[in-house]
Amino acid sequence: MLYALMGLGLSLITGILNIPNFAHGALFAVGAYFLVSFVGVFQNFWIALIVAPLGVAFLGLVIEYAGIRRLYAAGHDYQLLFTFGLALILSESIILVWGPVGSSYLPPPLLRGGVDLGFTFYPKYRLFVMVMAGLLVLATWLFLEKTRYGAIMRAGIENKEMVSLLGIDIHWLFTAAFALGAYLAGIAGALMAPIRGLSPTMGVDMLGIAFVVVALGGLGNLLGAIVAGVLIGIAQALVAAYWIEASTVVIFAVMAAVLLVRPQGLFGIR
Amino acid sequence: MKHPWILILASILLLPLIVRPAIASEIWIFAMFGLGLNLLLGYTGMLSFGQSTFFGSAAYVAGWLLKYYGINVFFALGIGIGVGALSALVVGYLCVQRSGLYFIMLTFALNQLFYFTAYQWTSVTGGEDGMPGVPRPEFFGIDFKDPLVYYAFVSLLFLLSLFLMKKIVESPLGTILQAIRENEVRADAVGYAVPRFKLLAFVIGGAFSGLAGVLYAMLFGIVPLEAISFVFSGNVVFATLIGGSGSLYGPVIGSVLFIWLSESMSNMWARWPLLLGVAFVIVVMFLRGGVVEAWTRFWIWRSSKQRT
Repeated sequence: MLYALMGLGLSLITGILNIPNFAHGALFAVGAYFLVSFVGVFQNFWIALIVAPLGVAFLGLVIEYAGIRRLYAAGHDYQLLFTFGLALILSESIILVWGPVGSSYLPPPLLRGGVDLGFTFYPKYRLFVMVMAGLLVLATWLFLEKTRYGAIMRAGIENKEMVSLLGIDIHWLFTAAFALGAYLAGIAGALMAPIRGLSPTMGVDMLGIAFVVVALGGLGNLLGAIVAGVLIGIAQALVAAYWIEASTVVIFAVMAAVLLVRPQGLFGIR
Repeated sequence: MKHPWILILASILLLPLIVRPAIASEIWIFAMFGLGLNLLLGYTGMLSFGQSTFFGSAAYVAGWLLKYYGINVFFALGIGIGVGALSALVVGYLCVQRSGLYFIMLTFALNQLFYFTAYQWTSVTGGEDGMPGVPRPEFFGIDFKDPLVYYAFVSLLFLLSLFLMKKIVESPLGTILQAIRENEVRADAVGYAVPRFKLLAFVIGGAFSGLAGVLYAMLFGIVPLEAISFVFSGNVVFATLIGGSGSLYGPVIGSVLFIWLSESMSNMWARWPLLLGVAFVIVVMFLRGGVVEAWTRFWIWRSSKQRT
């Protein structure tokens, strides 16, 4: 489910802004570190869970406004270099601020322990994350499908010129889309922190997965990103149960296999 | 630059006097790596963000054979070129049908596939610790362990690669690739099988990367995990872009700048990738077009001043 969140955010960014966002993984990592720091500040997991992704969204806003906005006319190569440079800056800053050694972080007391589901025993926090991520995906989906702003964003994916001709400030749209994508990455990171712990490389690991999700789901295809995210998560969990070492490799292998059969991705049209 | 060859020969001779031979070798190795990417990025218009796939795979395979089977240097180079070309064939086959963002993301994702394979396959690759103990065996009395001898060997291969790449981009094939870069639809309409030529560019680029990878492994005696990571792919893109893509000598200048820059930065501060990231951002914001273009602009500006 978290993969779906990451993929959805990245799909929004790549779909609307048409840039390769190599800083998406770093935003994810920043979200996780923000969560732990804010828990330290507020002494409350729930407040931190709300504030941390907002912080990442604000960071995304600044990045788009100060940097990416100037690069739409440049080629993909420079956009890539820019976001790659950003990713380096963010992940090195994480090491500078929080130290190079990863740490683990416990979920709040309310969500520790497990639940007996009858057929299996499942950790409470993971259940919470599944529900939470599901709700977030649903909320994003409803926002994009049912509200006016969502409609504008989807229109932006389809045809940017037309949207700006209709009198909508396209720059504002881009900034908002980037911030929303950053928010989704940030909250995915925040939710992940108690599961996998914190490490400076967590962003890069996630970045590859997010790209796979987008490539499988189809660029700018939001429903595709959600479905692909869930599929990839299930595939990884299944393989991990039998052969733990291969669980990361299998994601990319699945992608390669799908692309051999369907080069446009599972739901891609372009 | 009227006589780039003289300039390059001079820098090959002077470089070991300024920096350690190992760094000097690394510069030309990286330049070969850059030449391979430039054929894709500069001449065919394909931004591959997975060049370290070919570089790293070649380094691992050839390094492993060198270590356990004691093959000679030239055989190792041949293996490396072969592995580079083969892995590029596989990756290219999956990627050439897509373009734009998809293409970039795919090359990156496949790069991650190879990276995680190397990361997990610790019995062969050593995982995070890298694969140490890659030898530089003697060949008919030539002792490659001497850093200067090895430097000369690398420089020679670099000149050969540069010459070869010059021939390739000036050949009909090079012209077709540039036609694809300029207008893919038209190149297709004229009757060229675009995906096939793209794939060919991939394989050639991969061969150059493979050669660089083996030389790199022999230079440091180790194949670090970074050699197959996306950071390496990003570095070579950066080096090519600061030098100026689309010009034959761009990646060469870029590699000199990049290796020199990263060497001096890494001596200054352990967190030097942060500075590197800042450098990326600065280049993108203010120095688009790279050194070669900035140089040309400077000359145009100067000559226009002289006329008035």
